[in-house]
Amino acid sequence: MSLDRHILKTSLPSAHAASASLTRSKPVTTRGGGAPPNAGMSQQEKGSLSNRPGTDPRHMAIALHHARQIQAQKDAEALILDRILDLVQFPASSSADPSSPSPEDARAFKSALIPFQPADYDNLILERNIEGLCGYTLCPHEHRKEDSRGAFRITWGSKGSGPGGRGREMNIVPREKLEMWCSDACAERAMFIRVQLAEQPVWERRAGDTRGTHILLLEEERARSQQQGKGKGKKRSTTTVNEVAGQLGDLHVHEGQSPSDVFDHMANLSVRDDARSQELALERGDVHPALYTGRVDINVQENSHTAGPVTAPQMRPGDEKGGSIEGYVPRDH
Amino acid sequence: MDEDYSSGSVDADREMTRLWRTWRTVFEMLLDRGYEVTEEEVQIPLAVFKTKYSDPLGYPDRNKMKVSARPTEAMQMKYTPLPSKSNPTPQPDCGTIYVEFCPDSTGVGTKQVRAFNHFVDENNFHTGVFITQTPISPSAVRLLSGVPGRICEHFQEQDLLVNITRHELVPKHVLLSPDEKGRLLERYRLKESQLPRIQVSDPVARYLGLRRGQVVKIIRKSETAGRYASYRWVI
Repeated sequence: MSLDRHILKTSLPSAHAASASLTRSKPVTTRGGGAPPNAGMSQQEKGSLSNRPGTDPRHMAIALHHARQIQAQKDAEALILDRILDLVQFPASSSADPSSPSPEDARAFKSALIPFQPADYDNLILERNIEGLCGYTLCPHEHRKEDSRGAFRITWGSKGSGPGGRGREMNIVPREKLEMWCSDACAERAMFIRVQLAEQPVWERRAGDTRGTHILLLEEERARSQQQGKGKGKKRSTTTVNEVAGQLGDLHVHEGQSPSDVFDHMANLSVRDDARSQELALERGDVHPALYTGRVDINVQENSHTAGPVTAPQMRPGDEKGGSIEGYVPRDH
Repeated sequence: MDEDYSSGSVDADREMTRLWRTWRTVFEMLLDRGYEVTEEEVQIPLAVFKTKYSDPLGYPDRNKMKVSARPTEAMQMKYTPLPSKSNPTPQPDCGTIYVEFCPDSTGVGTKQVRAFNHFVDENNFHTGVFITQTPISPSAVRLLSGVPGRICEHFQEQDLLVNITRHELVPKHVLLSPDEKGRLLERYRLKESQLPRIQVSDPVARYLGLRRGQVVKIIRKSETAGRYASYRWVI
């Protein structure tokens, strides 16, 4: 009992699940003894629930699980709000250059963006615009202000950007979209960040999820792709057919394996491996073992076949006139 | 009135009149919620309002427009929870309300809301009402609702231009005290979760400043029964 209580103080869902499964495995004995099946409850929970018959600690575990999820969501939202408020003040110096931000600013910006969704990022841009700043966080300039009152603007691209490489490209842009940024370059930088953010809210992301954690600034990405392009070009020129063939040779399966080894390996791949299925469940994100069996215990019970072989119906007296209708025989007039 | 108004002063006049209507609705709201406001404050004429709250150019000066009001005895009774074993002498869960009009005409963000929150917290107001001319940003909304221990509400000026509860199709909403709520549940042998519901974001619920878990009685006219009362649980 004291051990159980100790486990429950950890407030880990798995601990609750363990206690739940423990009590679930022996429901008959507890019910027979008249004691409510809450042996795994902590003192406080026990006090409030012990006077009610038929309480199931599994329900408690599920309720706690959901409550914790909601709390985690609230915490994450508060964290994002704090981060937005911080990022509105960026960059640290008013003379910072958006195209080559200071390393500390860039690092802080990127690490702050990890829990963001694109919608949160939009909120950040809006918040910066309200402060009168360019929407790109690492830009210290003011955002553009169009003085005319029209709702749309026509923007012209550079020469030769139009259809077929002739003329200029023309875009009709809503004014508020144009007024978000100090320049088109900043718009591009900010939008490049936005597409790298993970769509999934942070409280639903899994531990190993790397989307949205490695954010690159546009300048970094350009430098990288340039370098890569250079590197690739060099490699392509130096790799010869022979080298590729050699690499392919390395890829061959090792010859030393006998067929029995292969069979052993196959046997190890069996689905019914408990440890591995737990691992798999963890990988899938089913972190709560109490919910493995589903929210409700389902017990499918097949009806047994009681009837013997089916026989064809036989004519009974009176059937030639239509027979009885649920026991009522209509009379002829 | 003078005939030769310049367009500027016509503008100013229109804005002043609109703001006067909002101002009156705010006071009606305070009165309906049960705060101590006088009859003259609620029924302030336009001329008086203009002289009191306009700047030299005739435009409204929102910096002057700050109201605070204390709850009446009746309201305190309504907001006092029932005594329980752990809390034998409960204190009323209401207090001084503070209403502020935001002077910024565009782009109200977290900066203004933070200042407002700070002011409410510093002066120990129980409830704060922040009234802006334009919608406020989503982060600002979140910031406003996240003050621990205080209740901060937000309205737009145009939301309060007319008092929605005075409309003929809006029935009368009466907040029940915890005692009345208990008796209602006992009479109909209900759990509170078995009542019909009303959202906190419902316009009338926002107007009355209802909180989660309270019950309102809605009295509407009925062709057949004269009056018909129904109850809603605020969620």
